[in-house]
Amino acid sequence: MKAEFAFVALPVSALIAPSAFAVQYLTVDQAQHAIFAGKSFTASPVKLTAVQRKAIEKASDVRVLHDEQQVWRVSGGGWFIVDEVVGKHEFITYAAGLNADGSVKQIEIMDYRETYGGQIRDQKWRDQFVGKTSKSTLKLDRDVKNISGATLSCLHITDGVKRLLAFYEIALKH
Amino acid sequence: MRAFDCAAIQRQKLASVRQQYLSLRVMHRRMKFRSAFAAAILLGVSTVHAHEAIFSWTYTTDLTPKGHGEFEQWITTRWEKAHGSYSVVEFRDEFEYGVTDNFQLALYLNHHYVYANDDFPVADPAHPKKLLTGVYETGGEDVHKGHNPAKPFDSYHFESVSLEGIYRFLSPYKDPVGLALYFEPSVGDQETELEWKILLQKNWLEDRLVWALNVNYELEYEKADEGGYERAGMFEWFTGFSYRFVRNWSGGLEFWNHHEFADATVHEHSAYFLGPTIHYGGERWWATLGFLQQLPIGQAFSQDNKEFAAHDGYIFGDEHEKYYVRFRVGINF
Repeated sequence: MKAEFAFVALPVSALIAPSAFAVQYLTVDQAQHAIFAGKSFTASPVKLTAVQRKAIEKASDVRVLHDEQQVWRVSGGGWFIVDEVVGKHEFITYAAGLNADGSVKQIEIMDYRETYGGQIRDQKWRDQFVGKTSKSTLKLDRDVKNISGATLSCLHITDGVKRLLAFYEIALKH
Repeated sequence: MRAFDCAAIQRQKLASVRQQYLSLRVMHRRMKFRSAFAAAILLGVSTVHAHEAIFSWTYTTDLTPKGHGEFEQWITTRWEKAHGSYSVVEFRDEFEYGVTDNFQLALYLNHHYVYANDDFPVADPAHPKKLLTGVYETGGEDVHKGHNPAKPFDSYHFESVSLEGIYRFLSPYKDPVGLALYFEPSVGDQETELEWKILLQKNWLEDRLVWALNVNYELEYEKADEGGYERAGMFEWFTGFSYRFVRNWSGGLEFWNHHEFADATVHEHSAYFLGPTIHYGGERWWATLGFLQQLPIGQAFSQDNKEFAAHDGYIFGDEHEKYYVRFRVGINF
């Protein structure tokens, strides 16, 4: 009767073993210069009001997870935003650069630690968001291609960008 | 021109930094794989892998993507009947492969170790359909024919080889619910089985809260002591909720209801189980640990099961024990 307890104890020790290493592809500074080369940045964090939060959720049909948004104003016009969305195992951190008119200039994946879907960092996949505005439809499989084995990540980044575009309209534009 | 040169230099620097990060990442991946491999060896686990299971018993509709594989090791231990000692440790070594994004095939080996002593109720020789109250012997499904019932029994047995196919019709990430069908034939020296499952999954809260439901039917042909085969049918359903409460970790609850049918037609019993499950999912490997306890609300329907399997609301007999623990570990490649 003791044998089964050994089979329990060993798995428990395996479960509490150290988790995955934290790997960061891009720091904030690197992401800023990858999107807006040669520009300067002024931190302008935004704390959403309850009304703004609801308006963003209504406009994007995506839930707002955090009331505070990391935002930088870019010299010469435009915005740089750092955001995170839920991945299969961990949060996926990404940066979005918006032009002065609120359209997407570029997105960069800063952290991605999922089993599948590393192609999410490929420029070709990220370029699907370029030029999108809050008026654009952003739907997985129709406007943004899915990546095999990474549906959840693709869906959440697509929804994240949709939410940021609504965030621009409601909290940054005016 | 100078601005252009500066931008080019910055891009070069950025590329260099990225390259350094990529090198570090490759090193980290190798280290993690080696650690997981070493852990698997330490656990006595043969290394191969399957799709990530956030539950211990209930399947979700998540599959291994096209062209990818997974090795998965299952270890299930179940123990305690109405009397004496009885414990089984079951092993399943599984290799899964994604044929398409919606179709997965798996091949697995089933083997187990059993220890039994004084665990099986004895029939009254004068009334074979009645129990000889308070008298037990060593017996049960896994005890070999011809073993002296007065002595303890232990044995390791290679049971069967199974082929599993799962086809997903709807994805829980893109459709209102996930839906998949499962089919699994198993062939062994003592029994042949066919199993079908309907798998349903619904996600909420950015896919961190998952509900799954499996409805299963299994038909088995088991070698009878008297020669020939006995047919049995099983209808069961599993359901569970799991919530990812912090990065990498999910926890939840699973429920199992099992119905046994003698000759696939005579309803023998219904047994109920409930317990917690915890899951860790990393970039290259995952592990899940679950516990189920039989609830004392089981129902015996056939006369045979009422007499020999039911005990204080629990159902034992050949099919069930009081406690179940399952550990699964998977490595993706």
